[in-house]
Amino acid sequence: MDDAVVPAAAPTPGTSGVVRAGAVDVLAGGRGPIGESDVSPAAGPASAVEFTARADQTEIVATPVELRAVTRRFGDTVALDGVDLTVTKGEVVALLGLSGSGKSTMLRQINGLDQPTSGKVITLGQSVDGLNQAGLRRLRSSIGMIFQQFELVGMLTVLENVLTGGLARLRGPRLGTWSYPQAAKLEALDYLWAVGLADRAFQRADTLSGGQSQRVAIARALMQRPSLLLADEPVASLDPESTADVMLLLRQIARDKGLTVLCSLHQVDLAMGWADRLVALRSGRVVLDESAAALNREQVMAVYRPVPSNSAK
Amino acid sequence: MNGTSIKDPVRTELPRRGSFWPAAKPRLALFGLLLAGLVALGYVRIDPAAMLASRANAVNFFNRVGALSFPGATDLLYQTALTLGIVLLGTLLAGVLSVPVAFLAARNTAPGRSAQVIGRAIGVLARATPDVVLAMVFALMFSLGALPGIMAIGLHSVGMISRLFADAIEQIDSGPRLAVRACGAGRLQELTAGVLPQVMPSWLATTLHRADINLRGSVILGYVGVPGLGMEMRNAFGALNYSRGLAIAVVIFGLCLGMEALSSTLRRRMLGAAPVKASRPAAARAAPTPSAAQCVVTRSAGQPSSTKSVAPDLGRYLERPWDGQRVKRLAGWCTAGFALAGALVVCQINLTDFVTVWSHLPPVLDKMWPPTAGAYGIWRLLGALMATVAVAFAAALMTLLASLIIGSLAARNVASRPSTRNFWRATLVVIRGIPELVLGIVLIVVTGLGAQAGTLALAFCHIGLLGKLMADSFEELPAGPQRALTAAGAGRLQMYVAGVLAPGRQAVVGHALYVLDTNIRAATLLGMVGGGGIGYYLLVAGQGSNYGQVTLIVAMIVAVVMALEGLTVWLRRTLA
Repeated sequence: MDDAVVPAAAPTPGTSGVVRAGAVDVLAGGRGPIGESDVSPAAGPASAVEFTARADQTEIVATPVELRAVTRRFGDTVALDGVDLTVTKGEVVALLGLSGSGKSTMLRQINGLDQPTSGKVITLGQSVDGLNQAGLRRLRSSIGMIFQQFELVGMLTVLENVLTGGLARLRGPRLGTWSYPQAAKLEALDYLWAVGLADRAFQRADTLSGGQSQRVAIARALMQRPSLLLADEPVASLDPESTADVMLLLRQIARDKGLTVLCSLHQVDLAMGWADRLVALRSGRVVLDESAAALNREQVMAVYRPVPSNSAK
Repeated sequence: MNGTSIKDPVRTELPRRGSFWPAAKPRLALFGLLLAGLVALGYVRIDPAAMLASRANAVNFFNRVGALSFPGATDLLYQTALTLGIVLLGTLLAGVLSVPVAFLAARNTAPGRSAQVIGRAIGVLARATPDVVLAMVFALMFSLGALPGIMAIGLHSVGMISRLFADAIEQIDSGPRLAVRACGAGRLQELTAGVLPQVMPSWLATTLHRADINLRGSVILGYVGVPGLGMEMRNAFGALNYSRGLAIAVVIFGLCLGMEALSSTLRRRMLGAAPVKASRPAAARAAPTPSAAQCVVTRSAGQPSSTKSVAPDLGRYLERPWDGQRVKRLAGWCTAGFALAGALVVCQINLTDFVTVWSHLPPVLDKMWPPTAGAYGIWRLLGALMATVAVAFAAALMTLLASLIIGSLAARNVASRPSTRNFWRATLVVIRGIPELVLGIVLIVVTGLGAQAGTLALAFCHIGLLGKLMADSFEELPAGPQRALTAAGAGRLQMYVAGVLAPGRQAVVGHALYVLDTNIRAATLLGMVGGGGIGYYLLVAGQGSNYGQVTLIVAMIVAVVMALEGLTVWLRRTLA
């Protein structure tokens, strides 16, 4: 097990990255990479063709996320205060900041789960506030979202949880694995294989450990064939080993699929080694926005210092 | 801290209590209900002397009846299967109908405020209309047979199932549902993928529980022409063939006990099958902040895997393994399938009835309208309604007193020895298995008493329910204050009053109100079999084809049930 310790190309002197054995398995071990998601249409019956063909191909845009002077108030509290942010395609961005600094609110603006009080949110080239329900659904279907508490449906099997990610491409309600086309099932298995849980396809989701649950949630997000991945504190409920496991997996997926990733995180050290770019929020304002390589730990930690007196709160 | 010292005020008088009236209103209402119970006890004349005298009656009766005479085995088996089939199909129908009603009525799934009101109204109306009345109406519309009974059970049970199911829907974890929505799922997809799986066990458990209740209630359907054990029993007693009637009553007793045991086991299995959710928040709480060194993940990590290893044939993972879980599930489905097929065969449902039935609807409605008091006059009916309400109140009060004692003895934190608790728990299970209607019929036939026998049957059988609810509530009370009382040197009785009764009083009131609520309906049914009150008039009106009277009587019952329900809802809210 000791040989699993891999020295990391740490950007900051004095911080040596150690990757735990379990995490390395993701990369070097038996698990395959993210498979090409195009399941051959021959795999399933006629409905499979309908399933694989994506009705609404989101156009590939250079800046998947654009926030322009976005403000969000809840009563007297200002959660976001004139936030400007542009994320370019393929970028892996870590969102830092104390609890209540507006990280979650920001993520919820991007996929339209919440609307800004003022300002403009343009996600994947579409202005979010101009969308009707159907448009919002279409937009959300191409944005994968990962939650702190995984939010799997515990009563369902692992496979069916992953399959729910493909619901937007299917018509009508589904209940039970049998109600999904074969092509969808094979595709879901493909992603489960990628996160290393194909052999647990028929286990109930509420019997999984935290790390396993989050990996299933990642597979569910992949099932959406997203072009953008939002992660809201994905490792805040996980133990260190699962944390490394999940973060590595996210990074690997981002690279393999060319995904844009926006991930809110608590741990500065984790974010510095992981992301291309760090964005820090304080009281709803962007106080830091730099390439990770250009920053040292002290600069980032400054975000967490007690708020200077001239600030509102 | 900042210089100004706070003076210690000297208490010269007791602190004032808050305003009197708001807190007193629910208490006065409770006191009124208690008083009503006492008055009702006097009204139904629970008279120990008369009871003792009737005991002699009973002895005479049994001497005269001699041995029980059971019907032939094939006949008995057929009637049993028929009764079970009607209950099963009716409950299943109700379960299916309840799903859309509950989704309409639940706060978090209702498409709008008005839909929620409609969903609730359907439930309340279904709950307030006795299934016997529905069976009477359906008997007019359908050809005779099992179908009116199935339809009656099916519609009436929607009331309870949809309400409990809606409660379950409101209690779901909204996270997974939000996640499904974030995947871009449509409205209906969100419900089936994010909500329905979470409430399936509760739906099954509620429906099973209702099947249990419906089996007890099915006897009364025999009195309005629905075939099965209930009708056999009524015919036997009608022909003064007491030994046969009692024999069938014994069979129904056994059936109810068996069903109770089966359904509670199944429910426990089903609700217990899900691993406790508590692991989630626990994990969140226990999660240590990963030490920095451990979880630094690098941007360049993972280079080795860029040589793509091809995933093996994943198809084999699609073969669901035949593990114990799957075998059990398949066995469950098969059993359910066989039971359903058997029920359909036994009940001989004529599906064309569903097509032809609609043409019968206008004349039936025409017969039922306008409501009229007929030859009885409205005052006589109102008096009978009062008698029914009195039976319900008197029985509820007796049940409350007995359940307080037995329920306490059956609570782990009150009973002095585990054996005491186990004994009383077992007693409660047995009492719960006894259907009050059958006990009422037998008591009325055997002792010759009317309202008293009905009240006693109702009071006795509901001890099983109320006692269990109380014992459970007492056991759920936090143990801290009790330990503190013991540590302070309180005696056993002091401990009981201050540590159990005082903190548990809200639960006691809530459960007692629930029993009172069910008692009104049960008392109506007992009236039909001779337990006094409005039920008798309802039965006679139905049998005499005076449907205008049926309409009026049902409206009266529904009004009382709804008024009482409004009162209990208000009381529970203000006391909570």
